[in-house]
Order: sequence, then structure tokens, then C-alpha cells
Amino acid sequence: MRELSLHILDALENSREAGATFAELTIAEDLVADRLTITIRDNGCGMDEETLARVTDPFYTTRKTRHVGLGIPLFQAAAERCNGELAITSKLGEGATLRASFQHSHIDRAPMGDMTGTLLSFILGGICDLSYLHRVNGREFAFSTAEIKDELGDVPLSHPAVRKWLRSFIAEGEATLIPLSV
Amino acid sequence: MNLKEIADQLSLEVCAAEENLDVEVTGGYASDLLSYVMARAKEGNVWVTMQSHVNVVAVASLVNLAGVIITEGTRPEPATLEKAYQERLPILATQLTTYTVAGKLYELGIGSEDLSG
Repeated sequence: MRELSLHILDALENSREAGATFAELTIAEDLVADRLTITIRDNGCGMDEETLARVTDPFYTTRKTRHVGLGIPLFQAAAERCNGELAITSKLGEGATLRASFQHSHIDRAPMGDMTGTLLSFILGGICDLSYLHRVNGREFAFSTAEIKDELGDVPLSHPAVRKWLRSFIAEGEATLIPLSV
Repeated sequence: MNLKEIADQLSLEVCAAEENLDVEVTGGYASDLLSYVMARAKEGNVWVTMQSHVNVVAVASLVNLAGVIITEGTRPEPATLEKAYQERLPILATQLTTYTVAGKLYELGIGSEDLSG
């Protein structure tokens, strides 16, 4: 895909479809070690070994409407094309962890893309709480929707004013990382 | 024009599903970004790419493409060929670049609906 954020959104949606009520997304950019690592951990239904062995097979899907599932295979191919790898660990009933790494400076590495739009789309898309950490060398931007919800009390995240605030909060947080980001 | 005629005209090597070369080609699409092919290639198109991963077969069968031309001398991976036979998806290979293949397809009268808007 043209942007890594699209892979991330797709993987987060997998967590939601697995019934996760909590997902943790960590993006770690280490320009000294020249690595970019994306980790998504969830508390969804997890997978047995047989399913786990097949998630990177494009001809495996849990959908019944078609026989091809390309989310994970495309994410994996993107990582492998950039001297990286994608690995998923999971146990049935114990959630799943996806970890994708890239050579940060690799010429074929897609840019991060629109993380603000991606995070908003996921946060406003349903009940799954998100804990987010984006680290670029020493700088960090982090938030947790569970904490934000606590602050908001009865006001839902989807309230127009909250939505507007969320967008600028995330955009400004991401912008603090930009001078070092690529 | 069908894939057999295209393969003959462009001297393409037929790597998989040679029994399915008589399908009529509706147009062409060229890209190495599989997500774009999924979104924009049309049923019956021939797809020109230098990608050779098994994901190519998955995308092509999802969109119901007529076949795939793998360019620049890239060899289709064994897993790709195995799946292509299963899916009856013709895979053709050439040393030519994607640019040249697209040009030659146009010369043969295989145009493309311009999606760039």
C-alpha cells in the first residue's frame, strides 16, 4: 500500500473483528539503528496454531464472501521488501501481537501517511479502546482512549466538539515528532 | 485479442495456466502496488508488473484478471506458480520493462480506460 498507516488501520480492524476491547499500538522509529517497528497487541479472541500458521497466506481468510484475504500478506510483503519482517504471536483466547519491522531508510519503504486520520477512524469506529505510543528517537507522543473517556465522563468520543478536539490533539502530538521523522 | 495472441506477439514465456490463454483481454493495467491493482484494475484486464510474490495471484484472482505479465526478467516464485495453476491464472514472463510491455500492448490495440481523471 502507498502508506504504512493503511496497513496499520487494516491490522487494527483485524483486532476489532477478533472482538478486542483493547488494542495497543506502538510505532518506534529509531533513526540511529535505522529501524521502524510497528507493534499491535490486542486482547481479542486470538488464534490457534493452525490459524496462526495461515494468516500470512493470501488464500486464507475467515471471510465467507471471498476466498482471498490480503491484509496481513500485503503488510508482510511491505516489511520484507524493506529488509524487515512481520511476525504474529497468539494463543486462542489470549489475544494476538503483530510486529512488523522495516529498515527506516529503505528506498521502497512507504511513508507513515496520515496517522491522525487513521487513529481517528479507528477510535470513532467502535468500542475498542486504543493505547497509542509513537516514539521517534527520544521523542514520544502517547495517549490512551480509556483515559480520555474517564476525563470526558458521560460525553461520548463521537461528540462533535470532542471529535474536533481529538483531531487537533493527535495532529499536534504527531507534529511534535515530525522534525526527526521521515 | 486473447492472451495467446499477446504472448505470441510479445514473445512472452508462458509460466503457468497455459490451458487458459484463450480468454479475451478487456484492457490493461500496470502497477507494482497491489492495493491499487485491487482497487482499479478491471475484470478481464491483463496486469503488467514486476512483482512476483504469491500475493500477485491472490490479487489477480480477486479482481478476476485475464492474466499477469511479469516484467524485467523477474522470475515468478515457485509458490506463485503453484497457486497460479490452482487458480487457472496465466502467468507470462518477459525481460522487457513494464513501460515497453504497456507500449506494445497499446500497439496491439489493447487500450485502457484512463482512470487518472
